Amino acid sequence: MAEPASMIDKLWFLIPEIVLFGGVVVVSVMGLARRRIVRDAVPLVVCVFLVAAMAVIPFLYGHDRVFDELGRSRAGLLMPLLGRYVKLVVCAVGILLAMMSVWLTDRKLEAAVASGRARFDPIRVSRGEYFAFFLLSLIGVMLVCNANDLIWLFLALELTSLPTYIMVAISRPSAKALEAAVKYFFLGALSAGMFLYGFALLYGASGTIVLTEMRDVFAEQAAAGGLNSIALIGMLISLLGVSFKIVAVPMHFYAADVYEGAAAPVTAFLAFVPKTAGILAIMLLVSTVGYGGRTAAGIEGLPQPIMVALWMICVLTMTLGNVGALLQRSAKRLLAYSSIAHSGYLLIGIIAGPALGFDAVLFYLLAYGVMNTAAFAVLAGLQRRGEEIESLDDLAGLRARHPAMAVVMALAALSLVGFPPLLGFWGKLSVFIAGVEAGRIALVVIALINSAISAYYYLWLVGLPILAMPNAQSQTVVKSKVVWPRVAAVLAAVAVVVLPFFAQRLLSGSQGVGTPPAQQPLADSQRARADSQ
Amino acid sequence: MAAAPISGLLAASPLVAAGPAGVPIAQDGLGFYGLILWLPAISMVLCGVCAALRVKSKLPAWITVGCLGASFGLTVGLYRAYESPVIIPLLQWLNIQSGQLTLVADFRFYVDSLTLLWMLFVTGIGTLIALYASEYMETDVGKGYSRFFAGISVFLFAMIALVAADNLLMLYLGWEGVGFASYWLIGYYYRKPSAVAAAKKAFIVNRIGDLGLLLGIYLIWHNFGTVQYAALFEQINAGGYPDETGGWSIKAIPYLLMLGAFGKSAQIPLYVWLPDAMEGPTPVSALIHAATMVTAGVYLLCRMLPVMGLHDLALPTVAWIGGLTALLSATIALAQYDIKRIFAYSTISQLGYMFMGVGMLASAAGAYHVFTHAFFKAVLFLTAGAVMHGFAGQVDLRKISGLLKMPGWRITGLTMLYACACLAGVPLLTSGFFSKDAIMAEAFVAEAGHGYRWLGIIGIVTAFLTAYYAFRVWFRVCAGEPHFEPGEEHHDASGRPRGEFHPHPPRLAVNLVLVLITVGAVWSIFLKRWAADMVADSTAGAVREAPAHAAGFWADPHLWMPWVAGTVGLVGIAVAWYFHLADRKAAERLKNALLANPVARLLPLALQNKWYVDEVYHATIRFPLWILGHILNLFDRYVVDLSLVDGIAKIPRALGRGFQPLHNGILHSYAISMAGGATLVAVLVFLLPQLVEFLGGLLGGQG
Repeated sequence: MAEPASMIDKLWFLIPEIVLFGGVVVVSVMGLARRRIVRDAVPLVVCVFLVAAMAVIPFLYGHDRVFDELGRSRAGLLMPLLGRYVKLVVCAVGILLAMMSVWLTDRKLEAAVASGRARFDPIRVSRGEYFAFFLLSLIGVMLVCNANDLIWLFLALELTSLPTYIMVAISRPSAKALEAAVKYFFLGALSAGMFLYGFALLYGASGTIVLTEMRDVFAEQAAAGGLNSIALIGMLISLLGVSFKIVAVPMHFYAADVYEGAAAPVTAFLAFVPKTAGILAIMLLVSTVGYGGRTAAGIEGLPQPIMVALWMICVLTMTLGNVGALLQRSAKRLLAYSSIAHSGYLLIGIIAGPALGFDAVLFYLLAYGVMNTAAFAVLAGLQRRGEEIESLDDLAGLRARHPAMAVVMALAALSLVGFPPLLGFWGKLSVFIAGVEAGRIALVVIALINSAISAYYYLWLVGLPILAMPNAQSQTVVKSKVVWPRVAAVLAAVAVVVLPFFAQRLLSGSQGVGTPPAQQPLADSQRARADSQ
Repeated sequence: MAAAPISGLLAASPLVAAGPAGVPIAQDGLGFYGLILWLPAISMVLCGVCAALRVKSKLPAWITVGCLGASFGLTVGLYRAYESPVIIPLLQWLNIQSGQLTLVADFRFYVDSLTLLWMLFVTGIGTLIALYASEYMETDVGKGYSRFFAGISVFLFAMIALVAADNLLMLYLGWEGVGFASYWLIGYYYRKPSAVAAAKKAFIVNRIGDLGLLLGIYLIWHNFGTVQYAALFEQINAGGYPDETGGWSIKAIPYLLMLGAFGKSAQIPLYVWLPDAMEGPTPVSALIHAATMVTAGVYLLCRMLPVMGLHDLALPTVAWIGGLTALLSATIALAQYDIKRIFAYSTISQLGYMFMGVGMLASAAGAYHVFTHAFFKAVLFLTAGAVMHGFAGQVDLRKISGLLKMPGWRITGLTMLYACACLAGVPLLTSGFFSKDAIMAEAFVAEAGHGYRWLGIIGIVTAFLTAYYAFRVWFRVCAGEPHFEPGEEHHDASGRPRGEFHPHPPRLAVNLVLVLITVGAVWSIFLKRWAADMVADSTAGAVREAPAHAAGFWADPHLWMPWVAGTVGLVGIAVAWYFHLADRKAAERLKNALLANPVARLLPLALQNKWYVDEVYHATIRFPLWILGHILNLFDRYVVDLSLVDGIAKIPRALGRGFQPLHNGILHSYAISMAGGATLVAVLVFLLPQLVEFLGGLLGGQG
């Protein structure tokens, strides 16, 4: 076994996280300032720190920094290049999400203070802490990329999720949000318990918590006649637990309630940030058991029980998500179910495995982050009776009074369906191609049927704003006080249209990122042994 | 080798390997010329911004003219810097390489002389027409002005992408782009039902052709594994393609490409959209539906000439379709009264000549005709536009007369005279004379077989008809005694005229553009050699054995054809002069005499009604489809919606109701469901190995 990686090598890749942590400190202090202008500058400072982190990332992943002379990861990571792509994407989408959240909290209090009806009281403001938690959660996702052992992975996952519970609670001053937060917290704790238990079993089966060592142990076990059944059970329970983060069946129950209860910017956050963390965790976990096993068809892939479990989760998730969305009358609940369905599509890439499948998953995450943000930003950018709009009826005939938002919603929905040539199409295409190449034709066919079903409800989101006549309810929809959510919506929509022109560059950006460096030779030696038996 | 049959086929066709093997990719220095493509895109965005800001000045026009002019300047620069075919990379776009699958399509320019020829006149005439439109569209300033110029910019962007592409996918992108721009601009007056209908018709008819092109591109990719010109031509010239696995799927390629070309370039059977497309503003008719977009089909065939050799009857089919279209539409043009429609049919007819040229492997002559036609047809439409503009939308040639004698209309009248002369092919003075004769002479030179001689005769007859209808317009509108009735735009909504009408003659921008393009038309007389070289140097260069001409005048069609065609043209003009200037009543008398005869009356009626082609299409295609549509509608409503959709929709609802207790919003039931679900998955995976095997077999069976 390789000697443990040095602290310096590990810390080097954490520079973006350290930058953002500086942001956390600054922002939480600024949020308490007496002067209003300082408090108002908080979102701007968040964006500045995100941009700074983005600016640093490209300089960190030089080849000599990542790999030692033998081509092994210096930091002892399973997928040493993962962070290069994921951290950039997370920060970029983070900027859009921060723009959406500009005026989320403290609206009434600030108005009262400005008019002199109330005195400023540091106890009662929550903007600083909202954005501090916002950044902490992003840091959590970025740390998942750097996880080299199970404990780190667990902590990173929890760091992603814990702030979101609070963000849901303070996102709007209503009992609904509190109820959503409590549900989310308790069920999240349940899932954390599950995957922690799974991790413990994995440790028991392999005798190590370091992911790279675990991979080697499992490879030996597989070559010697099959994985330890404790390892299989541990892996299964871990995957089921982490499924909570990506809202996959059977851990999806909270999604609709929580997404509906939180304010739209937070919902968009939940649909992207914990999901990214969960998908990355699943990628890391399944990579330890490797894609060297043989399925019944003789195609190399995951060990069969894991394969079957993921296959079932994948099919159930996309089907339940799409069928559930058909019934919704609330745009937020609809998008919540759509978020479930998209997790199903992502799992196809996981099942297909490296390199094509993981690349496709990473690209899909970017595409989903952008188009989902566009859709939620429209909801956040418009108001009715002082509340953000929610139901589909609010969207009817949007074109007449808010043409830009109508177009953004239509583009986002078309992209979510996978309408060429928008961004979502390329995401789906790359995932499906990976599935076909890996021989998972049945899975891809089911996914295509699901896509067709999903067109039914996504086209409402296209047709209602653009084609339908305004109704009495949508006549009263007005623009929200601040322009930034709408700016975020337009930026995301522009990205949905323009990024496909750079699809090649983005795809090659994610290429090989998810491939463990030493996987290929190992798989070869395994095959040699299997042949000799 | 296995490729023997097809290389044999190639050897039989007079095509010789013309494609330069391995076109080099420009490393640097030329990337700058990518601006030729991006400038119209920038102009489009800026016009969009103008529309959003509700700019109430001519700013969008000047932005467009500036960007297009710069684009033209760069094209000229590229032409001057051009030495040999080169590929200029602009943007990585598609690069799918996994396993057996390879699809590379980037944004890259494939610069050879054919591309340059098209790019020069597309950007040049585009600029001039945008300038013309700045004045023509001035009544719309602040309303649709920005929208109009954004459309023009979209069109130029797409057209340049189409012409300059280095692969078929980018060409297809441009192809659809110009179709979209054409739809956008035909339907510019979207409050007018006829304009909307025309836009839809153009779009739908073009879709049929586009489907052909798309299938053709797919089959090319399927058989040759590439959509890039350089690699494709290399394979075809080497004769190394999978003829055994291919079979029909290779032989179908030229026919599918042809279908696409017929749609875009308005040939039989897909020509019906072009006359209706005249509902758009006149600069659009001039730019898109006369000078540039409609030649895209000719360009496609020239570009794909090596591919067209994949079946030996493909090119003769093109030639015959072209010749028949030329004749058919010329006969229809005889009996129309709407000036723009006459010019539209003449465009179809002239495009027919071009296809004839390309089909007979006289691609140089065909492309030269595209070039000259672009100038004089632009002038014709722009003069027609000036008349419309000045007489409140009047386009009926019976209602305007003596334009030359009216103050301020001299330039319009004279430029129209020259353009009509070009169309008629007046000997020696006009560019149309040189380009058209080159094509017709080729019909008699080309190897016997495929009946090309008859095609030449059709060409001569059409030339006579062309001269007649072109000068019918000119003698009616420009010569004779001044007289006019204003068009319907002079009337208000209730049909009453708005006060007294005064025609307003064109001003500086229109006159300047008219003169400039006319000068271009004159200048193009001298470019015959140049244009021929431009085509011959490219992959479209069809190298033919020079036939051993027997000595003597009648043995060489290139010698006698100018005299024959010139005479025929002059006779046509003389006939037009008699009926439409010397004795204008004579035409009516002739028509009445024909109409009085029960058999002969069919001819003028058929001509006037465009041979009833629209009606036939309506009866044979649209009507059955309409019936089918209604049947499907009923099927959809009662079978699909009622039983399938609603039925299926009931399943999730029923399921939902079944699972309602699970989604009840109560925390601990969620927790129990989650734990239960997780247990269920675990049980399914572990405790039922039979099921696993079954599932594994199910999955594996697909692999």
